[in-house]
Amino acid sequence: MEKASHLSVIVDLSPTQWHLSAQTSNQYPLSIETFLSQLLAFLNAHIASKHENSLVVFGALPGKSVLLYSSTELLSDDAPSLDANSYLPFKLVDSTVVQRIMNEFDAIGELEEEPPCALVGAVTKALCYINRITHPSSTMPGVAEDPSIVHDPRILILSVSPDLSSSYIPIMNAIFSAQKLKVTIDVCKVYGPDTVFLQQAAHLTNGSYIYLERRDALLQYLIMSFLSPTSIRKILAVPKQDKIDFRAACFCHKNIVDIGFVCSVCLSSTHYLYCFVTKF
Amino acid sequence: MAPRNRDDNFMDVDSDSDISMLGDVEHRGKGKGKGKTTDKRKKDKGKAKAKEQAYTWEASYTRSWDTVQEDEAGSLQGAVEDLMARGRRRRLLAPAAAIRRAIIRHLVLLLDLSAAMMDRDMRPTRFDLMLQYAKEFVVEWFDQNPLGQIGVVGMRAGIGERIGEMSGNPQDVLKCLSDRTRLEPTGEPSLQNAIEMARSSMSHLPTHSSREILIIFGSLTTCDPGNIHDTLDACVKNKIRISVVALAAEMKISRDLCDKTGGQFGVAMNEGHFKDILFELVPPPAQRAVVRAGGPGANPAADLMMMGFPTRLPDSSPPSLCACHSDMKNEGFLCPRCMAKVCDVPTDCDICGLMIVSSPHLARSYHHLFPVKPYEAVTSMEGESESTVACHACARMFSTSASTAATSEGISPWGRYRCPDCHNDFCTECDVFVHDVIHCCPGCGK
Repeated sequence: MEKASHLSVIVDLSPTQWHLSAQTSNQYPLSIETFLSQLLAFLNAHIASKHENSLVVFGALPGKSVLLYSSTELLSDDAPSLDANSYLPFKLVDSTVVQRIMNEFDAIGELEEEPPCALVGAVTKALCYINRITHPSSTMPGVAEDPSIVHDPRILILSVSPDLSSSYIPIMNAIFSAQKLKVTIDVCKVYGPDTVFLQQAAHLTNGSYIYLERRDALLQYLIMSFLSPTSIRKILAVPKQDKIDFRAACFCHKNIVDIGFVCSVCLSSTHYLYCFVTKF
Repeated sequence: MAPRNRDDNFMDVDSDSDISMLGDVEHRGKGKGKGKTTDKRKKDKGKAKAKEQAYTWEASYTRSWDTVQEDEAGSLQGAVEDLMARGRRRRLLAPAAAIRRAIIRHLVLLLDLSAAMMDRDMRPTRFDLMLQYAKEFVVEWFDQNPLGQIGVVGMRAGIGERIGEMSGNPQDVLKCLSDRTRLEPTGEPSLQNAIEMARSSMSHLPTHSSREILIIFGSLTTCDPGNIHDTLDACVKNKIRISVVALAAEMKISRDLCDKTGGQFGVAMNEGHFKDILFELVPPPAQRAVVRAGGPGANPAADLMMMGFPTRLPDSSPPSLCACHSDMKNEGFLCPRCMAKVCDVPTDCDICGLMIVSSPHLARSYHHLFPVKPYEAVTSMEGESESTVACHACARMFSTSASTAATSEGISPWGRYRCPDCHNDFCTECDVFVHDVIHCCPGCGK
């Protein structure tokens, strides 16, 4: 680890899915409390691996996405009290993330129906943030070689919700802009069925998609697969996903289809996908 | 305006025959300032001695400053802004014509890497200029053909060399073009070998896609193992369109290649012209025949092409025979209709004829269909006491005091830009980034 690396973590905080995940009828139940404690250990490991490493945590909540923690600026006014037994940066991350997640959960009122998680919003925010820290020159002209410029930014998505087919186009747009920015997107599917879009995201940006088979070993998965920056992953042989689904969502019903019709009438590069239902 | 006109005359004269030019230049020499006169005379002398056409590079060299006009205060700011605005307007005007064009393009870029490319008649060398323009070409090409793919083949030492595999990612193509040491020119070029290699890499492509070869050719010879006309016939049969940009002179065979396959042929006269004829090949060629897709898509009235989105098998899967080459392979793509295994996408399934594309190829162009609404500049902060303090996307703090710099239309003095749908504020940088790159508003997520 020669150069500083940047990690943006996106945590899917869908209350319904986390409730389901914690059910004891699952083979390996995982509650959000256990998840958070393991996640915090991973975040601390990232900060500890190099002093210049930067870290941002976004939360995808029902209907909105929030910035939970950013290493470049202090969000909360009240700094945590000094504790002789803990390293201050660790304590800062832990308390800020937990505090803010709890605040956001409290803010969710009694809803008839839970709106879907704003995963797209969180991903685009992470990309905007990476764009901001990788191109600092426009705000401060004349700075030649800023040591804080990160070299291989990564996004780690911890997903529990199933695919939201209406967000197909924005997700794909986000993936292509990540490709342009040379950002690696890693996906860890903590709970629920495989998501086609996130598989494609990881595949197209050279990241790894990992489906947790043993959810009680979350921390081990995180540290073994996602802690290393992309430059040394070649040596480490980080597991990649085994099978990628290249299906798309149709434009009429937002169904995920594997055979569809594409219009060639639109101008050179516009295509509408129609699913079988409308055609026959 | 007066000096401008004179220079226009001068430009015409320069490309004329040298007899009239000599007289004209002398005449003008008198009219111009003293400092210039001596200069011109020196040039005249050289011309008279050499008795040959002016060097082509002089044409663009002498007048570059004339295109920039100073304003009253002697500042160039206005001229620069005008240039930028013109560039933007050009982009906006571009997609006006509604011609049906090839949808999915496949292009093999054939680069001449023979010793002839080290000639210095184009500055710095033909080779360096070719690499530079090829990179610009690739960027522009992917911008206009998001579904397209480019492969790169080099002609060097009598053989065709695969430099870059067919790829839809501009970064991959640029990477293989940027490794200058790996592309060092040597030996004789072989058109036949290189075209055969390009042809074989496009043989698996589906029928609806256009297959093109673009040759940048600097040599005047080709060193072929067989009859190149057989290769040409094979290309005509495979409907491969060959275009040639020659850097030296027109060769009969390169003219034939273009004419018989329906491509474009051009000889670059100078650096600027080289770029022009290269970039003429960026917009997709107009389609002449009706799209012929497999299955029910063949009906021209319906014009819907049936496409399948395959599943990719990992490298670690048990090896099996592929349907296209009967090779034993681990990785591959499964046709969603007949579950046959094919090596590469996009292609037509060899078993059921279904067109197989990977959905990211299609999705690459969706942002043209659903652009992000332009953000409104926040011009007054009244009645917004509880408004956010940081950019909604990148969490950068907004400045609390309005900037006093000249405010023009559409620029917020606070650097705040608001989405009309979700009413979140974004900073200037994110505004540009969201509209140019992401095409998706972080606030509303669409």
